[in-house]
Amino acid sequence: MNAVPIGVYISVPFCRTKCSFCNFASDVFSQARFDEYVARVCADVAAAERMAEETGGILGRAADSIYLGGGTPSVLAPEQLEKIFAAVRSRFNVAPDAEITVECAPGTVSDQIVASLLRCGVNRVSLGVQSFVDKESRAVGRLHTRDIALRDIERLRAAGITELNLDLIAGLPHQTPESWRRSLAEVVASGAPHASVYMLEVDDDSRLGRELIAGGTRYHAHFVPDEDTTAAFYEEACAVFGAAGIPQYEISNFARPGHESRHNLKYWLRQPYLGFGVDAASMLHAGAGAVRFSTADNLEEYTRGGPVSVTPVSEEQALEEAFFLGLRLNRGIDLRELRMEFGPARLMRLEPVLRELMEDGLLVKTAGRFALSPRGRMVSNEVFERFLATEGAPAGAVPTAASP
Amino acid sequence: MDRKFIRNFAIIAHIDHGKSTLADRLLELTGALTAREMQAQVLDDMDLERERGITIKAHAVRMKYIAKDGQEYQLNLIDTPGHVDFSYEVSRSLASCEGALLVVDASQGVEAQTLANSYLAINHGLDLIPVINKIDLPSAEVERVKEMIETAIGLDTNDALLVSAKTGLGVPDVLEAIVQRIPHPKGYAKNHLQALIFDSWFDPYRGVVVLVRVFQGTLSKGDRIRLWSNGKSFEVENLGVLTPKPVEVDTLSAGEVGFLLANLKNVGDTKIGDTVTHEDRPAIEALPGFEEIKPMVFAGLYTVDAHEHTQLREALEKLRLNDSSFFFEPESSAALGFGFRCGFLGLLHMEIIQERLEREYNLELIITAPGVRFKVTKTDGTLIEIDNPSRWPNPSEIAKVEEPVIVATILTTEEYVGGILKLVEDKRGKQKGFEYVGAARVMLTYELPLVEIVLDFYDKLKSVSRGYASLDYHLSGYWESPMVKLDIMVAGEPVDALSLIVHREFAYDKGRALVSKMRELIPRQMFEVAIQAAIGAKIIARETVSAIRKNVIAKCYGGDISRKRKLLEKQKEGKKRMKRIGRVDIPQEAFLAVLRVGEE
Repeated sequence: MNAVPIGVYISVPFCRTKCSFCNFASDVFSQARFDEYVARVCADVAAAERMAEETGGILGRAADSIYLGGGTPSVLAPEQLEKIFAAVRSRFNVAPDAEITVECAPGTVSDQIVASLLRCGVNRVSLGVQSFVDKESRAVGRLHTRDIALRDIERLRAAGITELNLDLIAGLPHQTPESWRRSLAEVVASGAPHASVYMLEVDDDSRLGRELIAGGTRYHAHFVPDEDTTAAFYEEACAVFGAAGIPQYEISNFARPGHESRHNLKYWLRQPYLGFGVDAASMLHAGAGAVRFSTADNLEEYTRGGPVSVTPVSEEQALEEAFFLGLRLNRGIDLRELRMEFGPARLMRLEPVLRELMEDGLLVKTAGRFALSPRGRMVSNEVFERFLATEGAPAGAVPTAASP
Repeated sequence: MDRKFIRNFAIIAHIDHGKSTLADRLLELTGALTAREMQAQVLDDMDLERERGITIKAHAVRMKYIAKDGQEYQLNLIDTPGHVDFSYEVSRSLASCEGALLVVDASQGVEAQTLANSYLAINHGLDLIPVINKIDLPSAEVERVKEMIETAIGLDTNDALLVSAKTGLGVPDVLEAIVQRIPHPKGYAKNHLQALIFDSWFDPYRGVVVLVRVFQGTLSKGDRIRLWSNGKSFEVENLGVLTPKPVEVDTLSAGEVGFLLANLKNVGDTKIGDTVTHEDRPAIEALPGFEEIKPMVFAGLYTVDAHEHTQLREALEKLRLNDSSFFFEPESSAALGFGFRCGFLGLLHMEIIQERLEREYNLELIITAPGVRFKVTKTDGTLIEIDNPSRWPNPSEIAKVEEPVIVATILTTEEYVGGILKLVEDKRGKQKGFEYVGAARVMLTYELPLVEIVLDFYDKLKSVSRGYASLDYHLSGYWESPMVKLDIMVAGEPVDALSLIVHREFAYDKGRALVSKMRELIPRQMFEVAIQAAIGAKIIARETVSAIRKNVIAKCYGGDISRKRKLLEKQKEGKKRMKRIGRVDIPQEAFLAVLRVGEE
């Protein structure tokens, strides 16, 4: 089987500071460890074949997207960045028109780094702005201001990197409807063709999340807007960006037409990608199905050569994924395509679920495609859950005799 | 042994006043157990069980004591359950004794249960020895406590024993006092057998173990015995005493205490308070005081997962093996499916059963609000007893409702009296007594409807008194009340398992409080959910749980789809632990919302 081009993801878990909302494996580490880490990642890239063999995935040489995420990849030294790209390019045939993204934090985009990015062939930068309101970015421990972010945007653009993504977080401490509108307006005014909006996640994995759960006041937790307000912020972002010609194309992504992120789309379209570094996820096709695997989720364990956890994706699970990933996209899913891929019998079982979700106004059907309604998007986890099989009983709980 | 040298006694004490420490000291001093063994007994209970093939349940321990007069005595310490739910069991244990140590904490004073049990003991003709414990504490107030014992119980405290069970101070005097001040048992070894069952439990290795106190006659191994209440007869296979290690004996004669094994399979056969006599030479009459235990508190038990219904039934049957005082019968609920109506001695008893089902049998349960058994006279003159709100007749068919009433004794300190009076008045209580017992201590006696006690009385009493009130109660009869059925509707559907029988005048307040609590307990759903309280067709309260505003994972996690799946699975799993009624997922706690009204 001729493998489709893959996306290559490299995780760089280093940051200058750890933001209070961060629930990733990223942290502040001494620069002394960067070299060691980069060497390990490069070795892993070179040994990609072995990883594929061990997990049973199909891996070719073609790649059409590279994504350095973090963390803050831009804290690496230029030589380190270049080593990583050299490793990737020597293992994969990177398409000439590949989308090559590096995540940067405003304030780390020096002329030196920009020059290095260009040397590496980077043509897209994702800037973790999170907020254009200084009080908000300061409260969560970011090291930049609005002015620094705007200056970095200009610097990148001047260097010819025009494919920019700006990240915003709805629900930061001190955020108000007015301040949120300011951040949205800055994104629109910047002319960036792509934006991501995340809602603050409250869980045990971040300092702010833990404080919110505990009901405390550290990390400005008591200035975090309530859930309903955050939801309203998100809806406002959809409306403002939509009106500005940057329509939503995925639950948290917005782009001017033609500027959607090719790499991120692979996640939702179940196209193969390979992740390297700490807490990096991969998905490869394997036989009739697929296999997902991810590396150790902390630096110590990863550098010690910690085990890769492998999750084979059964056909049933692949179908579930087709729904809970595909429906993240505004264009939704085409049932006919899924019928071809999975066979009509498997799909039949989910039809009552689809019907019910439509009756509840959570799904809409247009031109043969099912997509989340705006309300469905706000409660998408509730929708997605419905497609998961319960123990023993398949999703939809309608037994089929015709199952192949 | 000559009965002159036997002493049977119990220890009456409030929880934490030092009963078990004192008991341990007595065992240690009489050499029944070394300090190390006592430790071992606690820690290695399971091993001991296997080793000896019998459950160690030290509810009647025999000790050997050489008194100052040089004579060897047999002391039998008979334990009593420590909770108000088990007052009948307590009364049977006390009936097996001639005397009791009344242990009172020198800094805490007399508490309601101590009082109730002391009265019970006095009524059974027991001689009480006041023992003031923890005198080594700086906060000890021996004189004040003596005064309380004199006023509240009417005991002469001139020769009260002052001890510290913890340090051992004064404990030898306790042993001597038992010998000197508690009368020896009466009865004759040659009489027709009368033995009182005061405890029994199911042992997986040996069948039912029965603890008896022989009042008349002699019980021997191999005897054919008959149980008075049901006429069933068995052969005595084994007799023994607990020292606390089980030691086999050939006979137990008048005055003695011990256990018997008779290949009994069902604890329901060996009713506490029943009389054991010989099959071929029966006594003329039974020992007095036997009562069939009647459950007082009723609730529905359901499994969250309907597939576990059979496991629940099996678990209930197993628990019944060891506890004949609770009963269950199948019932079904439109909302919860198939379950069981269970009767308990009281709230604690209910909690114990629930906890064991959940812990030992790994069942996830929904328990409905506890209620009581009402006597309903219908307009056609028939009298029915109803413990399940779903069987409540149509109001037009009800001529009269009578509800069970208790007499509650509450002991507290002066400063909390105001709050407690308000509470008991709110709970429809009628004052029967208000007395000072010692300085600043007040004893309140109230008649209260049982249904008010089983709902949330304990917790409220604890909170208004900051824990400085103790309660004891016993059933005193029935009175007529205008009771109505309060229904709760969720999303327009009446949920039968949430229905309650309440006093008409309190229905509105209860309804409002209940729906407001339910609103807190029911998580936001995909759509707005109305929670209503109704009496008949009339809605008396309403609250709304607004729809979920957002539930979305925005973050990309570098394509970590397994993490997303796990989050979704966790969410789905969480819902499985709730009960779906109509289209609303209701958490287990919501079915007990009525118990939590007024919290926070």
